[in-house]
Amino acid sequence: MKLLHLLVFVMIYVGAFSQPNCEAYKYSGDTLKYKACKVSEKRRGHYQFSREYQEALDEALAIDSTFAYAYKVKSTAYLKSGDFITWKKLIDEAVKYDPEGELFYRASCRYQFFRDYEGAIEDIDRLDSMVDYDIGTSQNGDYHLNIVKALSYKGLGRLNKSLEVFERQLSDSSHYVGIYDYLHLGVLYLEMEKYSLAVESLKRQELENDIAENRYYIALAYKALDNNEKYFENLQRARKLYESGERMRDPYVEKMDQVFLSEILDEINLAERKL
Amino acid sequence: MRWVGDSVFDPEKDGDFQICGNENFVLQYFHLDNGIQYQGEKNELHRLYTENYKAIEVDQSGWIRIRFIVNCQGQAGRFRIIGSDVDYREQIFDERITDQLLEITKSLDGWVIQSRDDLPQDYYQYLIFKIDRGELIDLLP
Repeated sequence: MKLLHLLVFVMIYVGAFSQPNCEAYKYSGDTLKYKACKVSEKRRGHYQFSREYQEALDEALAIDSTFAYAYKVKSTAYLKSGDFITWKKLIDEAVKYDPEGELFYRASCRYQFFRDYEGAIEDIDRLDSMVDYDIGTSQNGDYHLNIVKALSYKGLGRLNKSLEVFERQLSDSSHYVGIYDYLHLGVLYLEMEKYSLAVESLKRQELENDIAENRYYIALAYKALDNNEKYFENLQRARKLYESGERMRDPYVEKMDQVFLSEILDEINLAERKL
Repeated sequence: MRWVGDSVFDPEKDGDFQICGNENFVLQYFHLDNGIQYQGEKNELHRLYTENYKAIEVDQSGWIRIRFIVNCQGQAGRFRIIGSDVDYREQIFDERITDQLLEITKSLDGWVIQSRDDLPQDYYQYLIFKIDRGELIDLLP
């Protein structure tokens, strides 16, 4: 029976945000959800902010008001327009009817769009307590959810707790290294004034994904270690990488630890006065 | 409603602000794939709000969103505001908070003209202010 549940789960959720496989609901005997799912397909070809898209989902929910997926996809336009009130009402319904399937999404968005660190931690802990498999990544794939949790602790100023969660996750042999994991760890060490560890982590980031941010922060670590040559050299490299577009990117939000050109240039001015 | 989040023109609120193109073609800022585009980057917005917003001693926390349109000439208008408490329930903030934020937002004159296929576009932009007991603690997105 457990295997059947797993099979149906996999059949429904192939691709977190693609249209679910409606036939899977039929296969599992949930004819109401099957009908709702089929109706929700009417939104295909319409923009997610459009009346047609939203109304197709309303129609699906009128058939089955427990169809979690429809609440989630309906919520996305509100999320992207910054309407946190409507977004939260909708995503709460999705989580209510499918906590195991939708908590990852709510947690990720609370962190990414609203810097709601307490809320993200609460959702991740709740998901973790519900499942006996890996809790997976954020909705945009940038981070494992435990890294989101570590970043949330950092956002709350709980640096030791953040480090504990970071180190536990990164030492897990099954962890797939994310594109910014070692950058954030390096910045955390820097904030904790553990400069040699910051250098070590930021060098690791350089190997994984060399961008303006790791060069900027490693420059600051070298500055604290009185290594002026590497301080200046890495600032220059940060500038070049920034100008060639090799930097943190998110079309929706400013990311934690993201650096702007003016910060790099200000630091270069400081360095030039120092040298 | 045409699109989620649309702001219908209201002559009383919006004065003589005009968009350049058709209402049906106002983009969302993220369609242009460049994040927030302001002269001096987002960092300049952080600086402007940090320097100009004065914390108010009230027991109100949560988020305030100001949404507006940047037209093809880089001018902003149709400002609309919503607020919530920390549990995302609608909340009307003390006017001393919202009036300040609106005033600063309306005074911003560095919005970058964004183009698609070399044609300047009208686009929706929003800013979210994270408030902790009357203090501005973060500027999103």
